[in-house]
Amino acid sequence: MKKVKPKSVVLWALLIAMVAVFALPLYITVVNIWKPTQQISSSPMSLPIPPIADNIMSVLNDPNVSILSMYRNSVLITVFGAGICMFLSSLAAYYLAREKNRLSKVLSLYFLFGLMVPYVIVYVPLVTMFNKVHLTGNLPGLILVFVSGSISFSVFMYQGFIGGISEELEEAAIIDGAGSFTIYARIVMPLVKPCTTTIAIFIGLSMWNDFLTPLLIGQVKTITVGIYTAIGPYASDWGTVFAYVMFATLPIVILYLAAQKQFISGLTTGAVKG
Amino acid sequence: MLKRTKLYLAPAFVVYTLLLIVPILGAFYLSFTDWNGISASFHVVGLKNYVDMLGDARLRNAIVVTLKITLIVSVTVNVLGLFIATLLNRAGRMINVLRSIFFLPYVISTVAISFIWLSILSYTGVLNGILEMEGLGHLVTDYIGNTDNAIKSICVIEIWRTLGFHMVLYLASIQTVPEELYEACTMDGGNSWQKFRYVTLPMIVPGITISVIMSVMTEMKQYDIVKVITNGGPGYSTETITYNIVTQAFGNNMLGYSSAIAVFLFFIIVAITLVQLKVMKKKEI
Repeated sequence: MKKVKPKSVVLWALLIAMVAVFALPLYITVVNIWKPTQQISSSPMSLPIPPIADNIMSVLNDPNVSILSMYRNSVLITVFGAGICMFLSSLAAYYLAREKNRLSKVLSLYFLFGLMVPYVIVYVPLVTMFNKVHLTGNLPGLILVFVSGSISFSVFMYQGFIGGISEELEEAAIIDGAGSFTIYARIVMPLVKPCTTTIAIFIGLSMWNDFLTPLLIGQVKTITVGIYTAIGPYASDWGTVFAYVMFATLPIVILYLAAQKQFISGLTTGAVKG
Repeated sequence: MLKRTKLYLAPAFVVYTLLLIVPILGAFYLSFTDWNGISASFHVVGLKNYVDMLGDARLRNAIVVTLKITLIVSVTVNVLGLFIATLLNRAGRMINVLRSIFFLPYVISTVAISFIWLSILSYTGVLNGILEMEGLGHLVTDYIGNTDNAIKSICVIEIWRTLGFHMVLYLASIQTVPEELYEACTMDGGNSWQKFRYVTLPMIVPGITISVIMSVMTEMKQYDIVKVITNGGPGYSTETITYNIVTQAFGNNMLGYSSAIAVFLFFIIVAITLVQLKVMKKKEI
């Protein structure tokens, strides 16, 4: 049936109209990065012709702001936070999924408990503890906080996934004389790669985008806290605001465009299962 | 038999216990004290904080604001998300492109999104600029400076941010409905509304439940947008529960009292989670 039905014309008109309205804020951001602020208020919708990079340059040249160090903090937190969390969690989940004993049952529930917690409850005690041991504002300390916050989710996901793969390969490896850590590293982890991707996207993105945790625990200038404090004095200088927004979103948007399917399925299955 | 040592559990157990469980227990304990975060000593005051919460007009306002945002956002993203998903389901090859556009805001940090919208909704911002230009100057208003408008603005931003996520959930749900059911409905003379009403809708009830619970959970913990857009103001009229907890703790040094509110929020979220778990179990049968 290649005939164009009037119904499908309406459907398309409706869809296109909705996408257009929906994408408007993105369009406004993209075109206005390249205009001086006066022009943004006088003609916010026009294309930036000629494009002017003043906003971006003024952010890069601001002596009080270092976009590079914000990126550095965020990358370190995300890479080490997600990496360490997935290593610890998969190791624990390997035990929990394979050893059917009382300890496994109790600890599975213990780890699951963290999924229910509204994270805001831990800030006061955590900040107090960190002040006592002088870990406030310390990057490794903050990374461990992020690790602890994502263990529940990661253990839960890995446990379900490892529990679902057959033990035959592992048994064959035992006969070949492999130890349990070798089996974990060489057989189990490669088999659960899809699960690792889902977890990496889900917890990695949540760490990269988190605002409250680095703000409260030592005001570490990640990209989110960094642009929030940097914009403060310029809150109505829209050109500068858009330039900061660009720096904050560009890396993620590029990653997203490169791997849309993984992002969408990772974030939805992650959210539904967790 | 292979022996997997209990040591595999140790690192995760230690980090999780020290940095999550111990602080939670700490919050429960602090909620029974009058600690202000500065003085070295504090007193255990029993249930005083919890009794104080009953008469706290500021907290009551935060609860009302949170519920308002939760209600408006959850209803809108679910109705609109389902609507767009049904349209998109028939979009053929364009599904992936359109889905990616709608989903994009969900991967961007809420702080960046809030700044985009701040530039649009501020009094000197883009929207008022456009109205002025189009000769609609009489429609120019302050979308952030007064309480009612500010709450609506916060809802619009949050709807924009999460709509794509819920739409994708619904799209996945709809795509699990077996084609034969639609065919059977056509045989019985059903039109497209009847197909939606009597085939799609009943078949995706589990999907609807999950999506609604997810949006409720997210909005009950709303903080970031309020922080950037209104900073809780004017006064404290747009504070949410989480915003209230953070300000009472780190702004007003009422660590004991804020912990009591956090414990209260904890029980609300646990209750919603238990409902969620029950629903998910049912779905598996």
